[in-house]
Amino acid sequence: MTILYDEGQQAIATESRRVLEARVDKDALLPLLERVGEYHRPFWDTAKEQGWTGLALPEANGGLGLGLAELGLIAHQAGRSISGAPFLTSSFGAAKAIELFGSDAQKLRWLPGLASGEIIGAVAFAAGPDALPPCPDVTFTDDRLDGIARGVSAGLAANIAIVYANGPGMRVLALVELAGTQRSAVPSFDNSRLIADIGFSGASAETLAAGDAARDAALHILALQAVVTAHEQTGGAEVLMEIARDYALTRKAFGQPIGAFQSVKHRIAELYGLVELARANCIHAAAREGAADFVTAAAAARLSATEAYDTAARDCIQIHGGIGVTWEIGLHLHMRRARSLAIEQGSSLFWEDVLVDQLAGEAA
Amino acid sequence: MSDLESYRAKAAAWLQSMAPTFGRNARKGLSEADDLALGRRYQKAKFDAGFAGINWPTEYGGQGLSHLEKVTFDAEEMKHGFPSFYFGISLGMPVPVLMQFGSDKDFVKERVLKALQGEEIWCQLFSEPSGGSDLAGLRTKAEPDGNGWKINGQKVWTSWAHYSDYGVIVVRTDPNVPKHKGLTYFWVDMKAPGVTVRPIKLAGGESHVNEVFFDDVKISDDHRMSPVGGGFAVAIATLMIERYVATDSAGFGPHLDLFVELAKEIQLNGRPAIEDGRIRQQIARNYAMRSGLDSINVRARLMMQTGMMPGAEGSLNKLVAVRSRQKLSELAIDLQGSDGFLFDEHASQKEDWASSWINAPTGRIAGGSDETLLNTIAEKVLGLPQDHRPDKGIPFNQIPA
Repeated sequence: MTILYDEGQQAIATESRRVLEARVDKDALLPLLERVGEYHRPFWDTAKEQGWTGLALPEANGGLGLGLAELGLIAHQAGRSISGAPFLTSSFGAAKAIELFGSDAQKLRWLPGLASGEIIGAVAFAAGPDALPPCPDVTFTDDRLDGIARGVSAGLAANIAIVYANGPGMRVLALVELAGTQRSAVPSFDNSRLIADIGFSGASAETLAAGDAARDAALHILALQAVVTAHEQTGGAEVLMEIARDYALTRKAFGQPIGAFQSVKHRIAELYGLVELARANCIHAAAREGAADFVTAAAAARLSATEAYDTAARDCIQIHGGIGVTWEIGLHLHMRRARSLAIEQGSSLFWEDVLVDQLAGEAA
Repeated sequence: MSDLESYRAKAAAWLQSMAPTFGRNARKGLSEADDLALGRRYQKAKFDAGFAGINWPTEYGGQGLSHLEKVTFDAEEMKHGFPSFYFGISLGMPVPVLMQFGSDKDFVKERVLKALQGEEIWCQLFSEPSGGSDLAGLRTKAEPDGNGWKINGQKVWTSWAHYSDYGVIVVRTDPNVPKHKGLTYFWVDMKAPGVTVRPIKLAGGESHVNEVFFDDVKISDDHRMSPVGGGFAVAIATLMIERYVATDSAGFGPHLDLFVELAKEIQLNGRPAIEDGRIRQQIARNYAMRSGLDSINVRARLMMQTGMMPGAEGSLNKLVAVRSRQKLSELAIDLQGSDGFLFDEHASQKEDWASSWINAPTGRIAGGSDETLLNTIAEKVLGLPQDHRPDKGIPFNQIPA
């Protein structure tokens, strides 16, 4: 795949931006922070209505048959508007796990609903600091799951989850329905991510992959999600750079716009560099889906996008001075989102290790 | 295979065949004089093989191809360590400007052909002790002298002036108008009476750059390449030539693979350094940065291929890559501990960490300092205000020195 966007892709970017700018308002996002268990419904309704939920899923399963590049463009716009629902990534990850590793019956059962957005998926691989633990907390025995999957994004609202579990003598990638499981909301600095601890006690589950294949499968799903998230992070970083620039042009001190001071203008120019590096890595990674170096490209995108979004959040607030830290102006929404996206799908520490393993030829 | 890819294959094959005679290994241990002589022979071989002046007009001895072929060839050429840099400035800017602005076509053609074949070298006399980033602040002056001009003053940081036959120069011809309006662009014979070239030894031990002094250097008016007072525009045109050049995400230092190899070989606390989290983090961060630049560069090439104009992100190359090369080189020396002292001033900056490190500051200054590049991004790309410029609109001779 080429790394130049064609007309259709550019139209996706323009249209999704127009729609999201019209329907997502920070004043609607702020109250979500103060309530546990709520997300921005207009975003998910929009995603369903626009077909974004099935964009990158196969046509045979009710999707639109497009790829990571197109979903990435939507995610980029979602990042710009801090769209407050994690499902665009989590349902995509769950659907890809079923599409790539599931049986025909499982695909028939779940993919059309995931594609239409009526079914919400979550991906539960992590155990605390480990995005892909050597020995997962959740156990899988005789097609049943036990234990607690911690800090699962979208976990509160999801209908199904893909779980990385500790089976008899090997790892298992399992598909589980969440109805009937015990879910408790995790109070978070970014509450609309619907973070949940999910408790399984003998929940009936199905195997998607087992043994070494389970880890490879899980890493692949994480990498797919990481590329989507990296686009979202880059969108957030980009809009923060623009907000900082616009503020530096209007706010005056000592008789001139603060953007005339090198300490300010260079800070914003540095953000431009971080945003463009992240964007370049995102486009490259989306184009490498299916290639041998896909995980490497995904890791690079993830690392540069995390750095870009966190730095942009930090510096944009700094450039605003006092007004930047107020509840109303909403820059903290980005700061929160930058951090929650930095942890979802594995932290920088995780991806640094993955990347160096690939480069050093020690890929697990 | 696309046309460009077959061109790349053809260039790569030719370069491969030249490597034993002119490449890295052939140059080991040569004095600079011998290396330059080898470089002249290599440049002649390039000309004979049709790889010189790739994107220049055929009437001047060029190949009449596009910028894409040029960048493609340069990227392949970079891999072999040929002695081509002696001609980099000459063929990069002054000679193309001569083609564009030189008035005597026969003279121009003769110069261009000799430069393309490595017989003559041109330098670019822009920077001065009082004006580096502030190009228009220069003080070297040319005064009317009979039918021609008389030049007095000093230039600095002039690459390869000590080997140059000719140079292009910007001088002040009118101090009574604002600084940009009083400049004129000439070419000069570097062997003319009154021209003195003094090499500057740099921190790394080498002397590629020079101070050049002009004492009553007389030139005739046919040396003039701009209207009187119109030199700044030609100077900017010079700097804008070849905006998209072959780049290197390693910042013209060692490739990241070399660092990974080093980290595998070296033991830290009894374990390979590649297992140390601090080292792993630097490798990963560097890789992410370099792959981003590579992707930007590939995208720019694809855009040019389809007739589109690449975005401003190409300007990030030098800024981002050289800073990271500097830090990575420091870390590579750290890693070697007491073995890290070893220094060979003739070692390649692309293969040796100490050489890369000691020469890195030049990369952050030459061709636009980090600060200048950040200003350019902030002002030209993001639309932020210019720095405060108290000399704006004021006649040059009334600016407080």
